[in-house]
Amino acid sequence: MNDQLPSDDYVAIAEELTKHFKSGPLVVKAVDGVGFRLPRGKMVALRGPSGCGKSTLLNLIGALDRPDSGRLIVDGVDVSRLSGGGEVAYRRRKVGFVFQQFNLVPQLSATENVTLPMEFVGGTNGTSKSRARELLRRVGLAQDRHERRPAKLSGGEQQRVAIARALANEPPIILADEPTANLDSKTGRLIVELLRSLRKEYRTVIIATHDADIAAEADIILEMRDGRLVAS
Amino acid sequence: MKTMRRGLRTILRNPLRTGLLVAVLAVSVGLALIMITVNEAFAKRLDDIRAQVGTTITVRPAGSFGGGFLGRGGFGGDPGGENPATGEDSTAQQATLTDDALADLSSIEHIASYSRRITSQYTGDELQSTTIEPPEGAPAPNGAPAGGFQVPILVTGTEDPSSLASLGVEDAQIVEGRTFNSDEAQANVAVLGQTLAENNKLAIGDTFQLNTTTMEVVGIYSTGTQFGDNSLFLPLETARTMFDRTGEVDEVDVQADTASNVERVADDIRAALGEDVADVSTELSSFEGISSPLSDAKSSSQVGMIAALVASAAVILFSVGLVARQRVKEIGILKAVGASNWHVTAQFGIETAVISVVAAVLGALATFPLAQTVANGLVSDSSVAAGPGGGPGGGPGDGGVAPGFLRGAEAASGLLGDVKVAVSPEVFLYAIVIAAGLAIIASAIPAWYVGRVRPAEVLRHE
Repeated sequence: MNDQLPSDDYVAIAEELTKHFKSGPLVVKAVDGVGFRLPRGKMVALRGPSGCGKSTLLNLIGALDRPDSGRLIVDGVDVSRLSGGGEVAYRRRKVGFVFQQFNLVPQLSATENVTLPMEFVGGTNGTSKSRARELLRRVGLAQDRHERRPAKLSGGEQQRVAIARALANEPPIILADEPTANLDSKTGRLIVELLRSLRKEYRTVIIATHDADIAAEADIILEMRDGRLVAS
Repeated sequence: MKTMRRGLRTILRNPLRTGLLVAVLAVSVGLALIMITVNEAFAKRLDDIRAQVGTTITVRPAGSFGGGFLGRGGFGGDPGGENPATGEDSTAQQATLTDDALADLSSIEHIASYSRRITSQYTGDELQSTTIEPPEGAPAPNGAPAGGFQVPILVTGTEDPSSLASLGVEDAQIVEGRTFNSDEAQANVAVLGQTLAENNKLAIGDTFQLNTTTMEVVGIYSTGTQFGDNSLFLPLETARTMFDRTGEVDEVDVQADTASNVERVADDIRAALGEDVADVSTELSSFEGISSPLSDAKSSSQVGMIAALVASAAVILFSVGLVARQRVKEIGILKAVGASNWHVTAQFGIETAVISVVAAVLGALATFPLAQTVANGLVSDSSVAAGPGGGPGGGPGDGGVAPGFLRGAEAASGLLGDVKVAVSPEVFLYAIVIAAGLAIIASAIPAWYVGRVRPAEVLRHE
């Protein structure tokens, strides 16, 4: 990990963050000069229509993609300057992802999916497994579902597993990209409630959503349009 | 360890994909292993043949290879005359080989020893030859007396009495008395074939007239054939004096010091004597001609082995490439939750290695029942392709190949008949080596592919 910068009470600070994509002759400004300061222990809703740049911004915060320009500091790390091993270490320790499509490894059981991030940071098998089971219990997955593979779980159950996986290495930030889009409304509410509960652990949860009801549950709402933050 | 466990789980939890991949790869690797095993068996058999060939190089006057020497220096017959084998006038094109010319041999390296021979056909009336009765109803050969074929008596002067060999005389065994020795280089002693001795009522210690010279019978040999036993052997110098062929040589057996130097020595002799003076032939070249079906089969197995290995590599590369593309989302997920490129590549590498090893072991097991069948098929195909009599080892009727070569040809033919493929446990070692090679080759694809995958890109498009 490089560039440990002071961030005070802000877990994420962005300045003039930009990410453009080329699509044939066109340049798509997915993130266009975005700036924000996000405090710790809050639930942040990143709201906006499809294609406004929410997912791209989450990917930049999660170091799944690199910004073209600007500065992004997360938990004291200058993410905009990360590459190679630094990027990998950052993903392991600083962020946890929850995707719309759940994105669990299909051939691994629920417990094994949750142990994955712990394995990558060198956790022992026994410790990782018992922590994974504890996390699965915490997110409300029934005991008899722990050894099932994703295909044998419902959408809500898969998303719970994904949340447990995101929490595995106790990251300060959880990034959730449309976490309820593939769930029925009741299950969606339960998932949002689960994410909200993470604030108690002083974690910041950033949820990208176009659902106004979910956004209403957040402590902070960032409104995006055409790659820019238009309101907060 | 965790990566290995994850790799194994992935393999076991996709039995259909794993099974298909293992099956296809096992066929390819098995074929390669069979070809390796068969190739080794062929190589061993060829080595056996070469080991039996010996180190003899035969030198004859140029143009005499067909037996033309039989017409030279004979007594009681025409000088020159027709080659009985080819029917051509041998003296018209036959060079002369002499002791003077052979002096050059002493300057050639890797010659262990050499011995000279002269051979003439006896047509006088002091000795009675044997007569071979034709089959009932068959016409007598041209010029033969009615009622049978008079076998010519061959008289060979040799300076190597330990090896009684001449045209038609093979595997001669002394059955009575002894052969002459080095102290008798110019003595009037003879070793007779059993048939010739019986026809002339000669026994050990008896004397007989040969071109007005009184000779003593010191030994009687047998070859088991009427033709071979109708000859006699004299010391070289005795024969030369008797035939008035001082300094002449019909045949020289040169021994190279090692089998590996045979062809080199033969080339040196050709260069020293000149190809217009001497025909130089080796048993090795004769054997190689005879063993060409086996050599062809060995080449085929080599080609098969290479093709099978290439096919194995192609199968695993294609399969792993395909699997990596199919699993691009999984790669993205793993990287998103903190896997390094190394973690992901190692997992793919372990999966590939396990599949390769399992396939290789199955292929190795298949080698045991199938290798012999494949070997038989390859030898059979090559023999058919070469055709009967395809080698240079024809026989006397084809122009008179040297007696030693005839023995060699028979031995080689016997060796060719039945190549036993012994599949050793080493095949498993080869299997592991192949599997390791394939795994390393195949791991290059996921290593390259994983490095290129950006999680954001592959997960964005889901």
